[in-house]
Amino acid sequence: MLELKNITYRVPESDTDAQSPSDRTIIHDLSFTFEAGGFYAITGPNGSGKTTLAKLIMGINEITSGKIIFNGSDISKLPIHERSKAGIVYGFQHPARFKGTTFRDLLSIAAGSDDEEKLIEIISRVGVCSLAFLDKRVDSKLSGGEIKKIELATVIAKNPKVAIYDEPDTGIDLWTIGPMVELLKREQRENKTTTIVVSHNKAFLEAADTLLLIKDGKIGYSGDLAGAVSILEDSSVCKFNELCQGEENAQCYR
Amino acid sequence: MLNAIDRRVLKEVAELEGIPKGAYNIRKNGKLLGREVSANINIETNEKGDGIIIDIKPGTVNESVHIPVILSQAGLHDTVYNTFIVGEGADVTIIAGCGIHCGGKESEGHSGIHEFQIKAGAKVKYVEKHIALGDGTGRRILNPTTKVFMAENAQVEMELTQLGGVDEAKRFNEAKIGAGSVLLITERVMTDGEQVAESRNEIELIGTDSKANIVSRSVIKGNSSQDFYVNLTAFAKCYGHIECDAIIMDNGRNQTIPALRALHPDAEMTHEASIGKIANDQLMKLMSLGLDYDAAVNRIIQGFLK
Repeated sequence: MLELKNITYRVPESDTDAQSPSDRTIIHDLSFTFEAGGFYAITGPNGSGKTTLAKLIMGINEITSGKIIFNGSDISKLPIHERSKAGIVYGFQHPARFKGTTFRDLLSIAAGSDDEEKLIEIISRVGVCSLAFLDKRVDSKLSGGEIKKIELATVIAKNPKVAIYDEPDTGIDLWTIGPMVELLKREQRENKTTTIVVSHNKAFLEAADTLLLIKDGKIGYSGDLAGAVSILEDSSVCKFNELCQGEENAQCYR
Repeated sequence: MLNAIDRRVLKEVAELEGIPKGAYNIRKNGKLLGREVSANINIETNEKGDGIIIDIKPGTVNESVHIPVILSQAGLHDTVYNTFIVGEGADVTIIAGCGIHCGGKESEGHSGIHEFQIKAGAKVKYVEKHIALGDGTGRRILNPTTKVFMAENAQVEMELTQLGGVDEAKRFNEAKIGAGSVLLITERVMTDGEQVAESRNEIELIGTDSKANIVSRSVIKGNSSQDFYVNLTAFAKCYGHIECDAIIMDNGRNQTIPALRALHPDAEMTHEASIGKIANDQLMKLMSLGLDYDAAVNRIIQGFLK
């Protein structure tokens, strides 16, 4: 349904001098197929390429090589809005803050309608944001949690075939994470939304049918959570304690 | 009385479909086109004959005054001095604004000087919209001045908008704010082509617990330029805030100079200013909801100037 074929993403190395330009490979020859209606969690250490992978699917970053096939069509070169129209929608980890634009504006764009009843119906379906949010400005005055709830609602309002959420629980209080997981499961179940969540949170990893563990820009493991437990536990223990010790050189070598 | 151009201009500047209800004074090409007074709002020509005096009785509530200006005569540069006296405890809306319709090669201009004497406890919403229309090549010039003198516990909200067609604009806003009074100014200006706009603001917080909040939103397209200056001076325990944001598109240029002066130890003043292109994350968000690049830019600008 959504097929990543040997995708590679390279960026120019920023800290090398101009005399010898070189590239850094963030995603390395990665292949994977997301099946329609599945719930996937992408996890892995910081800097492993999880967010980059999600952004490549949305077209926020363009792949250097390889192909992305969505429902039989090659979308590798499509701009963001055309991928969105094809049914892929993205919830940002750090959502944009605007000046003047309200939640109602964003929700109307996503829903393709500014009909009050329809917007209220979407908010009720999402559940995590109150109706009072509707005329809130999506600006720097919103708390981290509020803006994430708004972000979530705008993705769902678009009725995506594929919903990608980058760390949806950032800034969300403990009491909302459970309902948020339930919401994504419900959307998966009732609307057959293929759901891809980039997360470290156990609640999302447990909710997923398939877990992708990204390491150094490659898939280190894909399968169910049970199979990943030993790898996750292994990588949660730092083996570089000796190198890190002492205040002089407190750099992380992981 | 109103021809098609007049109607179009009135719709743009005052959202009027025809002659307004309540008190009004319509000025066209330097002359009186129509006037109506109400039981509580009197309008009369001033002694020098170069403007009007709008006298609002104390305690007048939920009334509005429309004073639009239409300019459609080539080569005319009209200057007008209007004085508003808003009585104690009144709560009114004043809709001003000037629309230029330029059909020829000669320039047309309007300089409106509006002085407000706001008495104790009065509340005023002042909405001023400037626009220039027409196919002519003459320069369209608008130089508005507002002078606001506020007694105690008054509130003035000013919405000053110029969204297109004006080639040259020099705005000057001056305000003296009394004890417990609040002044809110929101200025929205969009320029394009070779247009230039300048706004100078001298705001003085004079009385104890006076407040001022000055917001400026600028969109600068084409080769246009906008300069925004505000001097906020505190003479008492008070609160003042300036917020100026400019979005630059194409080759637009902008200067934003907010200045705070505290001449009292209990003055509390802040400002924030930003100049830049439309933020990439905003564009990404709207494009991820299905808008193409141009539509996303438009929505962001619309929201910004709303």
